[in-house]
Amino acid sequence: MSIGRDEVLHVAKLAEIGVDDHELPKLVEQLNRIVDYVAQLDQIPSDATAEPFLAGPAMTPLREDEVRPVPLARPPAAMAPEFADGFFLVPRHGAMEDL
Amino acid sequence: MTWETVIGLEVHVQLRTRSKMFCGCATTFGDPPNSNVCPVCLGLPGALPVPNAEAMRLAARAALALGCTVHQRSIFARKNYFYPDLPKGYQISQFDEPLATRGSVTFESPERGRIAVGITRLHVEEDAGKLVHDRFPGRTAVDLNRAGTPLAEIVSEPDLRTPAEARAYLTTLRQILLYAGVSDCSMEQGSLRVDANISIRRVGETLLGTKCEVKNLNSFANVERALEAERARQIALVEAGQRVTQVTLLFNAVAGQVKPLRSKEESHDYRYFPDPDLPPLVLSPAWVEAQRRALPELPDAKRERLISAYGLPAYDARVIAGERAIVDYFEAVAAAGADPKAAAHWVMGEVMTGYNESGSFAVPPARLAELIGLVAQNVVSLQAAKRIYPELAADGAGSVRAVADRLGLVQVSDEGALAKWVDEVLTAHPAEVQRYKGGEGKLMGFFVGQVMKRSQGKADPKGVQPVLADKLR
Amino acid sequence: MTAAAVAKEAGTRLTKAGAAGLNATLHWSQALLDQEAARVDAMPKLGPLAAMPIAIKDNIVTIEQPTTCGSRILDGYISPYNATAVERLRAAGAMIACKANMDEFAMGSSTEHSAFGRVKHPLDPSRVPGGSSGGSAALVAAGVVPAALGSETGGSVRQPASFCGVVGVKPTYGRVSRYGLVAFGSSLDCISVFGRTVEYAARVLSVLGGVDRLDATTVDRPPMADPTPLKDLAGLTVGLPREYFPADLHPGVRAALDRVIARVKELGATVREVSLPNSAYAVPTYYIIAPAEAAANLARFDGVRYGPRRVGPEGDIRALYRTTRGEGFGAEVRRRVLIGTYVLSAGYYDAYYRKAQLVRALIAQDFERALGPGGVDLLLTPTTPTPAFKAGEKTADPVSMYLADIFVSAINLAGLPALSMPVGRTEGLPIGAQLIAPAFDEGRMLAVAGTLERAISAIEEVR
Repeated sequence: MSIGRDEVLHVAKLAEIGVDDHELPKLVEQLNRIVDYVAQLDQIPSDATAEPFLAGPAMTPLREDEVRPVPLARPPAAMAPEFADGFFLVPRHGAMEDL
Repeated sequence: MTWETVIGLEVHVQLRTRSKMFCGCATTFGDPPNSNVCPVCLGLPGALPVPNAEAMRLAARAALALGCTVHQRSIFARKNYFYPDLPKGYQISQFDEPLATRGSVTFESPERGRIAVGITRLHVEEDAGKLVHDRFPGRTAVDLNRAGTPLAEIVSEPDLRTPAEARAYLTTLRQILLYAGVSDCSMEQGSLRVDANISIRRVGETLLGTKCEVKNLNSFANVERALEAERARQIALVEAGQRVTQVTLLFNAVAGQVKPLRSKEESHDYRYFPDPDLPPLVLSPAWVEAQRRALPELPDAKRERLISAYGLPAYDARVIAGERAIVDYFEAVAAAGADPKAAAHWVMGEVMTGYNESGSFAVPPARLAELIGLVAQNVVSLQAAKRIYPELAADGAGSVRAVADRLGLVQVSDEGALAKWVDEVLTAHPAEVQRYKGGEGKLMGFFVGQVMKRSQGKADPKGVQPVLADKLR
Repeated sequence: MTAAAVAKEAGTRLTKAGAAGLNATLHWSQALLDQEAARVDAMPKLGPLAAMPIAIKDNIVTIEQPTTCGSRILDGYISPYNATAVERLRAAGAMIACKANMDEFAMGSSTEHSAFGRVKHPLDPSRVPGGSSGGSAALVAAGVVPAALGSETGGSVRQPASFCGVVGVKPTYGRVSRYGLVAFGSSLDCISVFGRTVEYAARVLSVLGGVDRLDATTVDRPPMADPTPLKDLAGLTVGLPREYFPADLHPGVRAALDRVIARVKELGATVREVSLPNSAYAVPTYYIIAPAEAAANLARFDGVRYGPRRVGPEGDIRALYRTTRGEGFGAEVRRRVLIGTYVLSAGYYDAYYRKAQLVRALIAQDFERALGPGGVDLLLTPTTPTPAFKAGEKTADPVSMYLADIFVSAINLAGLPALSMPVGRTEGLPIGAQLIAPAFDEGRMLAVAGTLERAISAIEEVR
């Protein structure tokens, strides 16, 4: 399998990562190198089976329904790039105008 | 050519917990923006989710109330997409191994009579935050108080055939969830939200047409209106020789129109995968069984029992069983010794009027039962009882009998007193007396009414008639 | 000696290391160290780590210093809460000495992928200290601190421990809380420990473990068994997985391992060959699972709630996302996020992600057989195929860098405890031997390591 230029652009869009045109050829080449490398898993027979593996406990613990938040040493305003009247702010554009 | 409409609904209900789904923040509605937030629901680096036991219990309870199979093992999955109201860039939901599957909701369809609509699945997930678009020019404001609130998503099969049927399904679903006590189901506060999938096909066709999703439905009435608008749009398209393309639409309630959402074309590759922060949710069969046993009687069973155990007419049973608070009140009145039919009469009248206005019950059930008893024993008339009822709300009003005494509304059956009122009425209406004696027997009702009026409702109507008959002979 | 005095000395060593251009720290100040010391000196009871200065990898959050994960996208970010591991260290009397440099978001094996410059190997500045916890490893190796926290996703503590000649211990997955460890590959991530000696590492690890109500993947297990070194290794069976001793193994590494095997036998242990056939697939499996999880874990760095924001010329929300993330993440992080997105995307999930999960299970099954009933008590392997390589040697080809973890990543996939300890040098560079134990058997693994540590010179040239 190999990953083409359009596919890289599609994936970059899904991941919301801007990619400059000039860096694209090298990126495509490197990603192909990685995809080719991981493709060696194809050597594992398709009928191979194993007990599903799960790291950590077999079942999730559940917490009691108590209001007990981990306190913040600093409020959201102290870390936000843009904040006003208690709100985080972002540009208003595109798809969001529909909602 | 006639068209068949195929509708499936996705309903999100907020589960009634004190704290959020995966963190200890409060779920209170209406607090200042970004005040109920912590590392987990802000999506801060390094924070991890831990599921809320009560959310799982309520979701399982909802699933059981809808007749679903609750699975012993279900998996939390990450649904990946970018949106400013989604702090982690993914929503923790469930995907290919949901909490529960395959239930049904039975209800009265306006067109098809009693039908059962399949429930495909019920899964748990966390809510997103809230976006405010109109407060800062050119900016969208993000409030994450709601982010991480526990939701159950209930997906129906595409079994609904008309917009009115969809509305009836929602009404019943809401009733069941309220009975089960899992959610407030308030569309105003956003604790119940509906997305609708709709397609059309020619009658007799078995394949499904291309479906469109309608969002932004803020009341059951608007679900019906939006689906009607979308059905009309699709039929018009196809009849004009065009094709329906899959699209998400928003309903504008003011214009009564649906409008396609722009720029969502590639939002559908959500790249679900099991959330590695959360081991499987494992529920023992014994635990599930305990939840099932703890379920209250649900609307259908309740309605049946109102008919069989209390002898109520089907209509009364449906009205009273419509809301759990009402039926609980009714049963408390009946349990306090009131005649069930009289109790139903009161509940469907004064009681529901008051409850719908204030959201609470002014008169304790035992007091209403006592009042109904006084009517049954002829101590007060029904007319008088309606005047006594509002007085019973006040604290320290004393016994119901004492209130009736204080208001001077205890019925009079003493023949001497009745004869005095009768004499006064006959003296005041000589013409009617002449006509009665001339053969107009139906005037008896008029005389009884006049006596009741003169006695200010205190005269016992059953005692009045013999006295009148005697005097008019 | 008071914590205040220890803090002054630690500060002096940190200053010297800075002057030497090691570039191993990202944030530290004498004022914060003194503050730590004052807190420790005021503690009513001496904790097990009383006054021990400890370096913290910069992907473990602390309230006082920035936590950048070696990335521009978190430049200046200060966490408003502490990691559970940090709270536990402090409760035990330790002092947080500094935040250590690392490969950006722990993605790398050389600490050349830090946005704040590469870390130099303390013995040879032209070489890399390994990674991604290279800053922590270098600080311990340079004698700046006796112990440090790193994190492992695919060998990021054992590999630099091996390169730098220090002890690096990765606990069983679920032993130590990840709350406050900035996630990379959540099903693999483990806060792990560096120590100047086995004893230092064991002491630090012993206070870190235990269930945490804030991390649903911690396991409720009894604390670690006593790691005190033994008088000999009689009764112990040590397995040598043949796949971990390939023909092209670096001769110095092979010689060092041969010497360890001889000592293990002299100490009374039985040694036998075992097989872990699917370990050959560990690195490709890892490079599907870890990036897939990372792609989701790093989605939160979107410029909305924290961290620097950059908005492209379109000025809309997408331009905010794409520019903040496109410019904020370095080349290796971008590659992994893109690969991770790719392997989860529609049409590829089964071929990559699902397949990788199967192979992961096969790999874990191999270890279970080798270490289970009728198997061996511990496995012994080289930690790395070569000693520390030169800076720049593997940056052009990402896959060549990935192969530096060929002997360590299978253990993360299987969730097992393992350690690397220095067992000699070749051409002046340290060589590490790796011990792998059954799940939650850290205590005995450390006891054996401590026994070997006394029997083998870590700095002797091996031929």
